[in-house]
Amino acid sequence: MSNDVLTVQNVSKTFLPTIIALESASLGVKAGEVHCLLGANGAGKSTLLKIIAGAFRPTEGRLVLEGRPVELRNPAEASRLGISMIYQELDLVPQLTVEQNLFLGHAPGKFGLINRKDRRKRASEALKRVGANFTPDVRVETLSVANQQLTAIARSLTMDAKIIIMDEPSASLNETELKSVFEVIRDLVKHGVAIVYVSHRLGELREIGDRVTVLRGGRTIGTYEIADTSDEALVTAIIGKERSLVERKERKPVTGEVALHVNRLRGAEGLDITGLEVRWGEVVGLTGLNGSGRTSFLKALFGAHHFEGEIMLDDERFHPRHSADAIRRGLGLVPENRKTEGLILHAPIYKNATLPSMRESWLTRHSFQKQRTIPVLKSLSTKYGKPEQAVVQLSGGNQQKVVLAKWIINGARVLLLDEPSRGLDIGAKADLYDLVDKLAEDGAAVIVASSELEELYAACDAIWVFHEGRNIGRYDPFVTDRDTILRATILGEHHV
Amino acid sequence: MGRRLVDLGIEYNFIVIFLAVVVIATTLSDNFLTFTNIANLFQQAAVVGVVAVGMTFVILTGNIDLSVGSIVALCGMLVAVLMSNGFDPFVAVAITVVAGTACGAAMGAISALAQVPSFIVTLAGLVSFRGVTYLMTDGVPVSGLPQGFAAIGSTMVPILPGFAISSMGLIFIGLCVVAGLVLRLTVFGEYVFATGGNPEAARLSGLPTRFIVTAVFAVSGFMAALGGILLTSRLRIGQPTAAQGLELDAIAAVVLGGTSLFGGRGGVLGTFFAVMLLQVLRNIFNLLGLGSFYQMTVTGIIIIAAILLNRFIDHRKGRG
Repeated sequence: MSNDVLTVQNVSKTFLPTIIALESASLGVKAGEVHCLLGANGAGKSTLLKIIAGAFRPTEGRLVLEGRPVELRNPAEASRLGISMIYQELDLVPQLTVEQNLFLGHAPGKFGLINRKDRRKRASEALKRVGANFTPDVRVETLSVANQQLTAIARSLTMDAKIIIMDEPSASLNETELKSVFEVIRDLVKHGVAIVYVSHRLGELREIGDRVTVLRGGRTIGTYEIADTSDEALVTAIIGKERSLVERKERKPVTGEVALHVNRLRGAEGLDITGLEVRWGEVVGLTGLNGSGRTSFLKALFGAHHFEGEIMLDDERFHPRHSADAIRRGLGLVPENRKTEGLILHAPIYKNATLPSMRESWLTRHSFQKQRTIPVLKSLSTKYGKPEQAVVQLSGGNQQKVVLAKWIINGARVLLLDEPSRGLDIGAKADLYDLVDKLAEDGAAVIVASSELEELYAACDAIWVFHEGRNIGRYDPFVTDRDTILRATILGEHHV
Repeated sequence: MGRRLVDLGIEYNFIVIFLAVVVIATTLSDNFLTFTNIANLFQQAAVVGVVAVGMTFVILTGNIDLSVGSIVALCGMLVAVLMSNGFDPFVAVAITVVAGTACGAAMGAISALAQVPSFIVTLAGLVSFRGVTYLMTDGVPVSGLPQGFAAIGSTMVPILPGFAISSMGLIFIGLCVVAGLVLRLTVFGEYVFATGGNPEAARLSGLPTRFIVTAVFAVSGFMAALGGILLTSRLRIGQPTAAQGLELDAIAAVVLGGTSLFGGRGGVLGTFFAVMLLQVLRNIFNLLGLGSFYQMTVTGIIIIAAILLNRFIDHRKGRG
């Protein structure tokens, strides 16, 4: 206990009127370790992180920093004490330069004048420590996400952070980029910095973490040495009962006719797809590194991005100019970001679910819309209170089901799912892929894009690898092993 | 039951505030709660009110229309000029309404198609339309309008024994009802809320979001045209300097009525009560013989107080 740099003792957090986010949660972080935090959605991870970072104040319990109880009234106080938080949506100012961002709020200088020379020097040092290959004078908006991540870490260093909290840094990084971030983490840990690392991906935690604390329902379930703990044990701790990771199901052979035939599709940023087919009843996965064109391809198919080319849908030419065209032809898109692209968060559930199908009449028919919504939500086993409830009050998994319900209600037969499992916990993921399976069995043609190869491997009849805007190879998950596909996504070469 | 009532009171807090101000006004002045004064209130609120109803549509989509004051003046002049050039009042009104709607639709289309913030497009509109208004007669007011035209705004319609209300007031109330029904009962209304709530999600749900933005500006232009016609009818003169700063009164009323400037939340009912609230305030100050300086100061404070109250309620409901 005594060598902990940070101890969280029996912290509770209640949000008025009735939500208990944390109930007597504890956490001990040692200097020089990577301490991972695991938990399903709603387990209280983000609340705990925000309490440590000073963004929330605990209702009960206390924080002990280097042996002294501290009370953090705001994030600025936390960072003065050496606690630095790197949010998933990196809180950098894109229009400013790297060095301006690094020293935002604590620039060296006197009387409000900035000592630019000193700042440049210290910025270069911090960038060097994180192994950045860019200069401090470039604008953050011109950097790749990985380099922005490095900038955020460098920013923590300029504040002499003893504890750096990283909230799902891997969500927006591809595997090579993640590797370089990991190298930086290892170097920091060697110098005595403690890292609190949050991620859903077990493989990643094994690679970088020393210990892991599991939260469930706002309580600490336990802290484990990662090396000594099996995946199965961790998953059990997370979800509370035995439930296996997404497992490969026996799938029936696909017998349907060709639904969608992309003979050629050329779009912005070098997107160039040829000869991609999906049959009725088939689930086709798209994998690839970030920026490999998965999202652009789906958006183009859905009429949201301009493209040139030749696509046949049900043996008829298909060239949507707006999403409305694609929707009329029976397509549905579950976009990558359900909060900014998929849902109107403050609108009721039933209005979200019937939004695409409202065009059928001039007048709204609220009770009719609810009637259509309820059975579909039920068939998706969605947990919600009333259909009039705002969709923002649902958990991530249930929100995703509302997005899916939109297209089912509208009678979509070609479903495009872009990272449908992002931010979902393991139980919700398994649920989601069960649904995908069922939809395909009912005859829908489904395309799933995901950076989680494991999931595609379990759920798809075929997997296409995308690389730098091109579809380089089609694999049969029954025949090809995971590593071969993974190699192709990274190397961009097709081996059978 | 008591809890439900409290919830309703919070949801419709603008009505509670309005009633409170009415009670205060009644105790301050014996002349306030008289039929004549109430009829006056509606008559005076009508122009801003009609414009504010159109503004509600625009703000619900997360946009703003700064040009309405100038469109009111432009249309008020246009109808006067047309009639003084011998057009039949009906024809003049029809042409004016079409012109106002077209002005709004054009700005909406520019904003939606070229992805320019509506603030800038309508700011340009504010300046240019006022310029056109002055150009029409070189800045000279137009008078000598037909008698029948004045009747549009000032016919007194008896609705209770001893209580008559001007046609302007009735038009305002009628437009509120129609607008409320459009927002609540039509798919177009639903699309307006959806576009304001999350434009990207609306677009990816196949909604014609550009058309919707263009349409709400057309509605706003249409309402501003009606406002201009009513104004000229009441003044019995086309006045090119009229309605300066009217856009700000309209925006203040919409926001005071609980419609979110970020779009997606609000409605016409709130706008109606806010317009009347602001009119009652003006009225009290007049009845008490206090000048417009007091009026302006207090109006600003009331707006801030109402916005803070709404923020507080949002916060309590976890809408951050």
